[in-house]
Amino acid sequence: MKARTVRLWSVVHTWTSLVSTVFLLLLCLTGLPLVFHHEIDELLGYAPQPEAHASAARATPQAVADAALAADPGRVMQYISWDRDEPGIVMAFTNDARDGLPDNATVRAFDAVSAKLLGAVGVGPMLIVLKLHTDMFAGQAGKLFLGAMGLLFAVAIVSGVVLYWPFTRRLRFATIRDHASRRVRWLDWHNLIGVVTVAWALVVGLTGVVNTWAELMLNQWKATELASMVAPYAGKPPPVHLASLDDVVVRAKRAAPGMDVAFIAFPGTPFTSSHHFAAFMRGDTALTARLLKPVLLDGESGEVADSRALPLYLQALLISQPLHFGDYGGMPLKVIWAALDVLTIVVIGSGLYLWLARWRKRTSARADAFARRAPVPS
Amino acid sequence: MHGSPDRSRLWIRVFAAPILLSAATITGLLAALLWGKAGQYVAWVTVGAPVLVVIWTLLRLSLDKVRLPNSGRHGRARLD
Repeated sequence: MKARTVRLWSVVHTWTSLVSTVFLLLLCLTGLPLVFHHEIDELLGYAPQPEAHASAARATPQAVADAALAADPGRVMQYISWDRDEPGIVMAFTNDARDGLPDNATVRAFDAVSAKLLGAVGVGPMLIVLKLHTDMFAGQAGKLFLGAMGLLFAVAIVSGVVLYWPFTRRLRFATIRDHASRRVRWLDWHNLIGVVTVAWALVVGLTGVVNTWAELMLNQWKATELASMVAPYAGKPPPVHLASLDDVVVRAKRAAPGMDVAFIAFPGTPFTSSHHFAAFMRGDTALTARLLKPVLLDGESGEVADSRALPLYLQALLISQPLHFGDYGGMPLKVIWAALDVLTIVVIGSGLYLWLARWRKRTSARADAFARRAPVPS
Repeated sequence: MHGSPDRSRLWIRVFAAPILLSAATITGLLAALLWGKAGQYVAWVTVGAPVLVVIWTLLRLSLDKVRLPNSGRHGRARLD
């Protein structure tokens, strides 16, 4: 590699890293507790626990919806969801309006058997950490900005891999020149940790970027696929009397055999049309449980209106989520995720240190040169 | 692409370990998603491999420091 090419890649690496450093540190530091958010919520008492029951007869979906509305008078139901990993709990989302902002939604957990209110979900200190991590309390603009920082991170990683060659070609793999200066030692650590974590950092960085586009993708789906699915219902007013949720669940399961309901969006919410329930169905394997299939049902009669697989870009979004969160391989994978996060913090911190050390060296060299050129007072 | 065979060999020497680790990481990330419980076990080993490399390097350096004053190549070099 020519010296000029190295210099060029070095400039790309330096500036893409420097511009994104503060935000990447924020993402890594907030991402660390988020890896264990279930455990932390449980520890702090913010994770509702299901009751112990002798009978296995589950409460009907309509009973849970009624309980949710009774717990939040004057508000409306937006979604009801069933978590695959927590079968004892049903989650209900209520809001001021059907199309109310996500920030105004209240999420409550109900016992899957007795439909008893167990407590609020998504409250406590982890909510602040989550908001900092996803949008820095700046809404969609914050999300897109962090997405842009993620893209810079990806460029920094690629340029770092290119620079790995000229900096390490004379060294054996994993060499740390422990007897050299502190700067050289940290350069070796920066190169080693950076190159061994490159695949994980790229996957987590890019899936994070994809996640920041979630709302844009959803809007695109609504404007194209969903619009064509509900076209035969154009001009129909929103339902006056909603169909029974129990009926909706039964019909949705019949329309998607072998699948279970992940969540149901009520008519008028951002995930469906003003006239339809949308039941999002999931499979039972690790992969198909992530790839949801929407079934649209008439809001008044509960009849199935249409069902189509999600487009590729939304499937990519759904697949990208576990790859970003690291929550799909049990506790050991979470611990590894956290360790890789810490290593990424070390890479970012050491990169910043190396840049500061070089900048200080250059500044003092310039000052020395200036002092040598300056006339000596007589 | 990389000129002489020597240069190719050097390129492989420099990038072989990072490429293997990256391939292992990607395999593990997908394995847990596609192969259920068995895939999880694969993921623990392969996604954890980079962490093990860093721990192994730290241990190697610590052991070198312990050995340094008494024995080995480094120890003699310093005593001289």
